[in-house]
Amino acid sequence: MISTSFAIRLGIISALLCAGFSFAAPVGAAEIEPAEARFPNALVETAFPGAARTDVISGSPPAAAAYRDERLAGYVFSTRAVGRSVGFSGNPIDIVAGIDLSGRVTGAFLRRHNEPILVIGIADTRLRSYVQSFAGLDIRTNRLAETAPGKKGVPDAISGASISSAVIFDAILTSARSVARSRGIIGTSRGGRLNREAYAPAGWSDLVADGSLIFKKITADALADGAAIRVEGAVASLYVGLATPRRIGENLLGQAEYQRLTASIGANDNTIFIAGTGLWSFKGTLYARTGVFDRIQILQGERTIRLLREHYRNVERLAADGAPEFREAGLFTLPADSGFDPLKPWRLSLLIDIGTARPSAVDVSYALPDFYRLPAAADTARSAPTASADGQPLWQRIWVERTGRIAILSAMLLILSGILVFQSALVRRYRLYRAVRLAFLGATLLWLGWYAGAQLSVVNVLTFAHSLLTNFHWEFFLVDPLIFILWSYVAMTLLFWGRGVFCGWLCPFGALQELINETARKLRVPQLRVPFGLHERLWPIKYILFLGLFALSLHSMTNVIFGAEVEPFKTAITLKFMRTWPFVLYAVALLLAGLFIERFFCRYLCPLGAALAIPARLRMFEWLKRRHQCGSECNICAQRCTVQAIHPDGSINPNECIHCLNCQTLYVDDKTCPPLVMRRRRREARLALSAGGDGLPADRSTPA
Amino acid sequence: MKRTAPTSTMSRRRAVAIIAAASAAWMPGLGYADRPRRFEWRGTVMGADARMLLYHRDIAVAETAIAEAVAEIARLEAEFSLFRTDSALSRLNRTGFLDAPSHDMARLLGDCRWLGDLTNGIFDITVQPLWNLMVGHFARHPGDTKGPPATAIARARARIDYRAVDIAPGRIALAPGMAVTLNGIAQGYITDRVADLLRARGWHNVLIDLGELRAIDSHPDGRPWRITFDGADGNPAVIDVVDRAVATSAGGATRFDAAGRYHHLFDPRDGANRNHFRSVTVEAATAELADAMSTAFAAAAPDEIVPMARRASVDRVWTVGRDGYATQIFG
Repeated sequence: MISTSFAIRLGIISALLCAGFSFAAPVGAAEIEPAEARFPNALVETAFPGAARTDVISGSPPAAAAYRDERLAGYVFSTRAVGRSVGFSGNPIDIVAGIDLSGRVTGAFLRRHNEPILVIGIADTRLRSYVQSFAGLDIRTNRLAETAPGKKGVPDAISGASISSAVIFDAILTSARSVARSRGIIGTSRGGRLNREAYAPAGWSDLVADGSLIFKKITADALADGAAIRVEGAVASLYVGLATPRRIGENLLGQAEYQRLTASIGANDNTIFIAGTGLWSFKGTLYARTGVFDRIQILQGERTIRLLREHYRNVERLAADGAPEFREAGLFTLPADSGFDPLKPWRLSLLIDIGTARPSAVDVSYALPDFYRLPAAADTARSAPTASADGQPLWQRIWVERTGRIAILSAMLLILSGILVFQSALVRRYRLYRAVRLAFLGATLLWLGWYAGAQLSVVNVLTFAHSLLTNFHWEFFLVDPLIFILWSYVAMTLLFWGRGVFCGWLCPFGALQELINETARKLRVPQLRVPFGLHERLWPIKYILFLGLFALSLHSMTNVIFGAEVEPFKTAITLKFMRTWPFVLYAVALLLAGLFIERFFCRYLCPLGAALAIPARLRMFEWLKRRHQCGSECNICAQRCTVQAIHPDGSINPNECIHCLNCQTLYVDDKTCPPLVMRRRRREARLALSAGGDGLPADRSTPA
Repeated sequence: MKRTAPTSTMSRRRAVAIIAAASAAWMPGLGYADRPRRFEWRGTVMGADARMLLYHRDIAVAETAIAEAVAEIARLEAEFSLFRTDSALSRLNRTGFLDAPSHDMARLLGDCRWLGDLTNGIFDITVQPLWNLMVGHFARHPGDTKGPPATAIARARARIDYRAVDIAPGRIALAPGMAVTLNGIAQGYITDRVADLLRARGWHNVLIDLGELRAIDSHPDGRPWRITFDGADGNPAVIDVVDRAVATSAGGATRFDAAGRYHHLFDPRDGANRNHFRSVTVEAATAELADAMSTAFAAAAPDEIVPMARRASVDRVWTVGRDGYATQIFG
């Protein structure tokens, strides 16, 4: 009976886990609607409650107009499509949100995420409700509307998921502002300059989705007297964009062709890309004779700019992934003296004359997406005093906000460096050493872990590796200052002393296990000693777990997040055991095991420890001292080592050592370490003899 | 033709007026953030008074839009203005041709040809010789009541034909001695282009009055725009307009003779002023169409108006008689 009900429960748990897991899984690469598509009604209900209908997604940045009572009420957009939002995991995060005409967020729905900190169970619903709490945010002030009862200030970040919270806040605010600015809901920021150099790979559909390229389909209905002519399908379908920025130009043309283009134009010239299919040709044939394209002109401000044959370059082949086939594609260079300003909106005017009574002019409006705009130096200087305003990168804001925490962590790391550098002096004072160690572990657990939530995780390692392989941005890692500083310190100490500095001193879960075990010993809980043969054979488990997770990360970061639950860190430290019971049960079981086998988890299971142990082979210093008698004449250190990192032959295994310095206190203890005990005894005997007046030669033997 | 000579003083009729609703102004205490404020721009377009009414919560947004609209107006004045000797139209008249014309020029001249066909030649942009004849005749004979002699009119008419404007791709050419004026229709065209631009930028609830009037959507309160036009003293005709353009043509605005029997709204087919109505008002989808059709209707015979209105797909037509009372005759 018992086993049956247990099996049923297990089934329910795994079903729940799978449900939670599939909820968070990416829906697939094509889930961002292309231009001219519509957002599903179910999404609009959350993003823009009360909207009777929405238009197709159009414009730059792409957004769909939302209507109430047949009157425009605002816009619905995807943060991924507008701002290329990327989560902490380095993978896309996509929120579909709405903004009304007064500049307020109407609603927001988390459509896709891969955030490593909270994926399943309550955490996922909390992330979703956090996203939804942005409804009512005024994007001018970054505050929730005062009309919302009981809501003021900004939405509260999710505890334990500060990075993801910040990323979400940034994604919603930046995209909403970009849409609002382009649709005239808030004022445009002036100045700045074109970011010509920045490059990141992007396919055709990416360039279209984020507004780098604009699509325009011209049907006969849109033309004057269009009803009089019969055209099947579109008269013309055009893609238009500014090719000057490297991200657009190089992705469109390929590196070699883009470099040729850049080399052939002046530093302040610009190039426009036009590609088209359909009955109507934007080039026509007249330009060959007159030298001026008669069917296309650029309109900007007071200028009507003609396009000349000498500034035209045919595009034979498009390099962008997924680029459609075109009837014609070309590049038109606008010399600096044409007065064209790439940062200001412009229109491509098309004069279409296909057998109608009179020619029609159709405009394609283009506005360069905001992320190609670099703030002018003068602008940043001016906006510096108001730190939370536009322009300042998210991570800088967070670092400024958290100076207090950064100072405390820096102090802790300074103290720890002191401990390590002056370890030989410290270990001679055993009581002081114990006090320092317990105090430090307490600080690591209480402040660093439970208060500040700075628990490093194997997910960090895998995210880092993943981002190196795909799309590396310092910003992801700078977004959490404590994690960034800790990792920098760990990377450094890894080279000097090995993995032990982190595992033994800075890991909050490690500290929790050690402090619990300390208490257990005080209460005389019997300690199990694993026979070394078995112990040695259990070590590889953690390496296998790490390699498994690493392999999984190459396949899918989402699965890694699930797999990384083998670490009880999130349950025990980040979420402070406030989680569904299967997770709590697992963490408590590990802590219980730790009562009898100190640091049971660290020894055999920790994939992070394994990940750190691999590069720890590179360490430069051997500061843990040994004697030649160690292992041959005496095994006390090995017996006393809390994690059994000392081999029976007396050598310390750096892959297992947590650098707690316990063996070093024994090394200088002349009441325990046999060579020192012998020497002390001889000295005492000599003193006793000399006190008795009888002399013996002094002992010349010195410790190795 | 309704038109003004470049050298004459501007006495363009302001028959169309806007009832600017004071209630639409920002009311404090009702939630400042939700209540759009009213912004008004005033200036001169093609020599006539012009204004735009925009409603928005953010002054920076309104200023950006107005700056864009003003730039667009300047761009188009550089094409169509006869007040500027360096405009594309002045160059066309001076040299008789225009290479690589702007799309706006090609499109507007194409539209004018279409409008000429639609109005059986009443709307004609090459009417300059007849105009010169009228102005010259009444300058020499201020008290004359019969107008220029028929032979002089026939001579002038021989040099008038909108179909002689050759609009080929990449080049526009005039017949020898011919001149084009767009002063009657360019305001309407510019009004439409500004409206298109503002609409593309997401604007709603805008009223543009650059001589011809165009409403983008409704008033921000959700009600129609209320437009008055020419009527008896103390009895202005009021119409409700949503997302449409309105233009009025009144013969009394530019008179040739002292009595006002001869004025700029003459029929280029015979040079006659018809004087059936004090004014004609047209509502249409674009200011360009409303402008051209109100001009044509004012010069046309009364029985020509309704068939012409139907062909041109205008929405409504009102006439104001000599008694000052308005009648809706179409739509």
